[in-house]
Amino acid sequence: MEEHTWSLARNSWNSLLFSATTTAPPTPHTSLPFPSSVFPHVCRILTPISIPLGPGMGAPLVSVAVVARTVAQLWNKPLLGVNHCIGHIEMGRLITGATSPTVLYVSGGNTQVIAYSEHRYRIFGETIDIAVGNCLDRFARVLKISNDPSPGYNIEQMAKRGKKLVELPYTVKGMDVSFSGILSFIEDAAQRMLATGECTPEDLCFSLQETVFAMLVEITERAMAHCGSQEALIVGGVGCNLRLQEMMETMCQERGARLFATDERFCIDNGAMIAQAGWEMFQAGHRTPLSDSGITQRYRTDEVEVTWRD
Amino acid sequence: MQVADAGAGGVAGGADSRDGHRGLGSPGALAAAASEAPRVPGPSQVSGPGGDASSTTGRPETRVHVFALCVPFPSNVEAEIACASLAPDREPHGSVVKKELTVTGSILAIRWRAENPRLLRISIINFLDQLSLVMRTMQRFGPPVSR
Repeated sequence: MEEHTWSLARNSWNSLLFSATTTAPPTPHTSLPFPSSVFPHVCRILTPISIPLGPGMGAPLVSVAVVARTVAQLWNKPLLGVNHCIGHIEMGRLITGATSPTVLYVSGGNTQVIAYSEHRYRIFGETIDIAVGNCLDRFARVLKISNDPSPGYNIEQMAKRGKKLVELPYTVKGMDVSFSGILSFIEDAAQRMLATGECTPEDLCFSLQETVFAMLVEITERAMAHCGSQEALIVGGVGCNLRLQEMMETMCQERGARLFATDERFCIDNGAMIAQAGWEMFQAGHRTPLSDSGITQRYRTDEVEVTWRD
Repeated sequence: MQVADAGAGGVAGGADSRDGHRGLGSPGALAAAASEAPRVPGPSQVSGPGGDASSTTGRPETRVHVFALCVPFPSNVEAEIACASLAPDREPHGSVVKKELTVTGSILAIRWRAENPRLLRISIINFLDQLSLVMRTMQRFGPPVSR
């Protein structure tokens, strides 16, 4: 068997560094809002560096992890590997002040109902196939709804102009929900019904929202009844939807419970929520050794021991 | 920059050694040395569109392909940092492609073993992207603070 070795000479670094750019190499200081002279001071102030280990898509996760591990080592700072879902929860708790809510976590990638119990964020109910945000986004594609600013936002605006409720499959399965059947149904029905003029795209947006949100409200209520919870918190990108917040509020009022929700700055994925969860973990004594900081596309919310709460 | 035939990889003799230069353009930044097991004919052997490239013994997909890469760093500290940043993540096709990172002095050495040439190529390209990220990070946020 032949074996060949590549060796990179020092002067080959330049090509490797700029292999990703198609034009001239970037000038210094374009990628950061502050100059290098600030670094020694930042080094002193900054404590742990937090990264999402998962769940999510591999390529973005690993890109961040590689850079963060390098910075952590360059500056001799501890690293905290955070669960993305817990990032959402901890940011929601911080911003809203909710003490121990039942959490509805709804986004393009995740749909879970979570309640805290004995050092775990326990998943009480979840989607058994696709996330609700995924269902909404793919439905938007069928109707060729614009992605600017986001498909979910545009569906929400169109739904406000809907007048007719089209009956769609309602798929709650005990504590869990399913969305792929509704998606298949509406993908098929949409073309048919729009062609015959039986309904408008706005009617379909309205009907889809009413159906899927009612399902989410049902499984959240079931979890709240199970836990005797008086607080509900919505996190995740789909949590921006005001109709969902409205429906959840109605349910909470009927139960004498309080609803907590945030705006799009904190609902949608953001780095600050990872830092917040990392800070909680750091204060409780967690450290993530570099060798344990490998990213993973599947990371269950209840795999983490939540030592920072009683 | 060391090219394969400078003896770095221990080239085996015989008629197969010419495929070590397949794909080698100008000696640019990265030496394009082939690393798969020999006996797949190089371009000079293919006799045009009608040429039969599968007349060799064994199929490329079932043989083991090995690739090694050496990356120099300014010092041992940087090489160790790069190693610790690049090692933790599992290979996506871990049963088919495996890689090992080691640091000797200020050189980071990576060795791949793969059964599938396509997955090997993807793994190498991905690794080079990540290596580029590490190096840019070091340039931007380095040098390492004293421990």
